[in-house]
Amino acid sequence: MSELEKSYRRRYETVLVPIAMSLEAYLRDTFSGFPRIDRIAVRAKTPESFLEKARKQTDGAKKYDDPLGQIQDQIGARVVTFYIPDVDNVAEESKKYFRSVEERDLVPDSEKEFDYIGKHFVVFVPTDVLDQEFSAEDIPKFFELQVKTLFQHAWAEANHDLAYKADEALQKEQKRQVAFTAAQAWGADHIFEKLVTELGASSQT
Amino acid sequence: MPIEHIHSFLVHPSKAAEEQPRIGGTSVGLAGRLFDMLAGVYQKSEKECNIDISFNANERGEQQNDCRDVFVQYVGHPSLASGRAIAQRLQVITTHRSGLGLLFLMTGIERGYRKLLVSRFPADNGILAEENERSLNVEFLERIFMKSATSYKAALYSGRSLRDDFWDGQAVDKQVNNNLVSISDYWIRDFLLSDFRTTSAAGTKRLALCLRNAVKSATSMEVKEEIASAVKLSRNMAGRSTSIRDFVNHFGLSDDSRALIVSSLKNETLFGERFRFSREEFDKHIAFQSVELDNGGILTAEASKFDQVFQQEAVAENAGEFRFTTEGSIVNRRYKSTKS
Repeated sequence: MSELEKSYRRRYETVLVPIAMSLEAYLRDTFSGFPRIDRIAVRAKTPESFLEKARKQTDGAKKYDDPLGQIQDQIGARVVTFYIPDVDNVAEESKKYFRSVEERDLVPDSEKEFDYIGKHFVVFVPTDVLDQEFSAEDIPKFFELQVKTLFQHAWAEANHDLAYKADEALQKEQKRQVAFTAAQAWGADHIFEKLVTELGASSQT
Repeated sequence: MPIEHIHSFLVHPSKAAEEQPRIGGTSVGLAGRLFDMLAGVYQKSEKECNIDISFNANERGEQQNDCRDVFVQYVGHPSLASGRAIAQRLQVITTHRSGLGLLFLMTGIERGYRKLLVSRFPADNGILAEENERSLNVEFLERIFMKSATSYKAALYSGRSLRDDFWDGQAVDKQVNNNLVSISDYWIRDFLLSDFRTTSAAGTKRLALCLRNAVKSATSMEVKEEIASAVKLSRNMAGRSTSIRDFVNHFGLSDDSRALIVSSLKNETLFGERFRFSREEFDKHIAFQSVELDNGGILTAEASKFDQVFQQEAVAENAGEFRFTTEGSIVNRRYKSTKS
């Protein structure tokens, strides 16, 4: 076991998992009473997933020279809402309570493509979720907060399971099928957005 | 010796000036009386800089901040040139109201962490008095730079990686409590392109919940009354920079109340973290006040209007007893299965 793996496993068990649990409760409290939130989930990045990311290369060189300090999604949170307007409402509310250093709308590069969609923030871990006995060295500075609709969430989960984690690169036809499911999720979200706008549901609290 | 470099720059008030004045700068030697004075400022900075701040993302929402960029550049390569870029940032946002200032940049390494202290000493006028055997000479002096108790400003950062750290730090701004928002915005928002690390809503909610829990768990009526009085008065704090510690000290809460408040926090750091008080957020979490009497009566009203809704007077012949009176039309009547 490498030093990096040892360090991360210790951090994962002693700090990240307890923070993830406290953060989930904190987020639930922050968004309590907020309409049309389907779920709030927080997870600590597993050691396997962390090590895989830590080994990543760009242009033949290691992407991270200090993965413990540089990988910012060691804790990831996801707030899943019903409709597209709710994503914006949750994002606005989160800005009231959390300080972020990054806010991105992830959309495909080309208007002809259908792929991953979502609102991502890189947010400071609030002091409220930290136990007194945590080692300061092991407390991550940031966590990743994702806000998605149900369809974006469902597509991202299935895509992660089938395509992202696949041992072999997808065939052309398989890529097209994945894009097709993304297009359907996108379409469903937009039809629901149209409906809630027409029916005035997005303003109901 | 932890300090490795000190640079100083004279920063003129030149906001919106068409032509920016030249910024005079110098390296300060690491010995002598000036160094001793600055070393003291550097050493005390961890205690003195008590506002947790963090840099803002850029307008596109990316992890990039113009002020952080020049700080990181200076920490990586401390020089008059890289320091002057920081002074230029300060100069273009400095108004005549903030006036002339002397900027000191001090950097070093402590326990493997690079540290940067950026501090601004405002200019003042003074009188030099020189006494000799026969007489006393007094002379008016301009451009005296003092670590003023009312307008000194500094920001402290430390980290190991120039690429990934230096996103948050601590600041001191002696004017931050001033009601003139433009003055307090000058250092943290305009120059540092930062904000409090704890948002106004998050900090105020934390304070409100902690007071609510303290009142709920208190067994002594004195403690409950004391905290209720502080809650009542706190509504005048809108927009002020505060912390739970400040709140306890400001309203002179007793040791018992203080202990109860501290015990309701998850960690000690929360006691001192500063934020801007938001009355709107506070009222969201302390919306209603209830008073329960020993005769079984429970009075409830909006917390901010409780004293207007119910008039309270002591029952003279029986100490500790109170008479509450109110008038109004009945708009509803409810039954509940529990008290709370």
